[in-house]
Amino acid sequence: MNISVSNHLPGAPARQPQREVLNVKGLSAGYGPVRVIHDLDLVVQCGERIGIVGLNGHGKSTLFYAIAGLTGWQRGSIKLNGREVGRTRSQGPGRYTHEIVRAGLALIPQGDEIFHGLTVEEHLDSGAYTAAAWRDRAARKLRILEIFPPLRKLMGVPVGRLSGGERRMVSIGRGLMTDASLFLVDEPSLGLAPKIGKSVINALMAVELGNAAMIIAEQNVALLEGRVDRVIGMHVGKLKGEASAALALNVYRKA
Amino acid sequence: MDIWFIVSNTILLACIYGTLAIGISITWSSLGLLNLAYGFIFAFAGYGAWLFAQHVSTSGPAVLAAGILAGALGGVIICAVGFIPIHDKPNFTIRGLIATLAINLIGTQFLLWWFGPRSKSLPEIFGNWSLSLPGMVFTADKVGNVVTSVLILAIVLRWMQSSRRGLEIRAMMMNPHAASIVGIGVRRTSFYVMGITGGLAGLAAVLLSQTYYISPFGGLMPMIKGVSIALCGGLGSVRGAVIAAIVLGLNEALTGISIGGRYVLITQFVVIIVILLLRPRGIAGLLDKAREA
Repeated sequence: MNISVSNHLPGAPARQPQREVLNVKGLSAGYGPVRVIHDLDLVVQCGERIGIVGLNGHGKSTLFYAIAGLTGWQRGSIKLNGREVGRTRSQGPGRYTHEIVRAGLALIPQGDEIFHGLTVEEHLDSGAYTAAAWRDRAARKLRILEIFPPLRKLMGVPVGRLSGGERRMVSIGRGLMTDASLFLVDEPSLGLAPKIGKSVINALMAVELGNAAMIIAEQNVALLEGRVDRVIGMHVGKLKGEASAALALNVYRKA
Repeated sequence: MDIWFIVSNTILLACIYGTLAIGISITWSSLGLLNLAYGFIFAFAGYGAWLFAQHVSTSGPAVLAAGILAGALGGVIICAVGFIPIHDKPNFTIRGLIATLAINLIGTQFLLWWFGPRSKSLPEIFGNWSLSLPGMVFTADKVGNVVTSVLILAIVLRWMQSSRRGLEIRAMMMNPHAASIVGIGVRRTSFYVMGITGGLAGLAAVLLSQTYYISPFGGLMPMIKGVSIALCGGLGSVRGAVIAAIVLGLNEALTGISIGGRYVLITQFVVIIVILLLRPRGIAGLLDKAREA
């Protein structure tokens, strides 16, 4: 895999103090008797953009859902901004998700997890969940419209009537409405025409991260190549390759 | 056949049943709970209004408000007892059905034990006047019932359209999974939902008490009609429930005048079965232009 080393990479002259946004240790998760993720570790620094690639059914989405507390069961430690949000539980998917969202998570789920009867504008409003985001939601909506200009004309249209690409824009825009510190983007180009998928990825790359971090799960490695700070492979519930930043640096030096 | 009688009865029944059906419909689609304790909330609110009228004040608006508040309180109690402990357990739909049915049975027996089997009547809320026009008569209770239920439903729906909590409830109605991803807490929202739908049951209880009496089991028939109207309108659709309420109110008025009131349930279920055979998603299936997610 050919990955260009950008300024954000740890070890390169640091422009901002390194801080861990996400620290996952020994995470296992699954649904019922099925164990999808096996003792997984992952560290994400602030300002990083990470790609996770892997085949269907190897746990990319489950990893995101486990971080959000939406899997059937899970155990292991998940620290979001230093706060422990992981818990050992055997049921109650989604019961604590709103607390994790308030702690700074924005999950942009795979496919179209949309509210088909709400208009685009209401949809974006529903993404502004934290109190601060709700207060200046008007400014945030303008920012989303700059990222996705096609939505401007569609603000009053129910989302159920939009095309697949437009729905994906709404779904991503909804996730970008909060000032989360960790964005999890699940398969942004899935099911879209190559051209549209590419423009969606371009929009994601254009988002100013600041102190936040973004993890993008994607099957199409070519779309991410050279544009993210690290690419991690996922295979049968385990991360392969550059799971930690230090390891990544060694790989580059040897190459 | 007296056209005016049919029309006025249709409107009256549609308003009261529509109020109940909208409450059931909202609860089902946002919380995934078919609230079979609705009949208990109905009777609970009726007795709340009756106690208020006995001990505090008999002024019409105050009794109405007391009924609505008692209904909302009943809804919140059902939520705390029957929804919160089991909502994230497997097979919640069946468990919720059984839990609310049990609460309904226990609650109505409790009301029977506490208040006795004699039915109570509320004071006349809208006064005792009538307005005669050529060919038609407006009586106080009919006009009052229609105006009050339409007004309060309009306020509730307006609130759901424009406020942040309303947005949360509508989001949960459309896609509960995505709602939790966005950060909407199920448990807090459920208290709002159950409070509001309980208040609607209380409203219907006080309005219906202008025609019938308040009794421990008085909520059973309204609940059956409310559930069937909600089903016929397409569970989860407010507009569908309104239209279904009008259709079934018309059916009830027509049945009452043509072959007798005791056949109402039979004709009503025939109408509902025919509608569901033709449109499995109920009337909402005709209205909904957006594709399902």
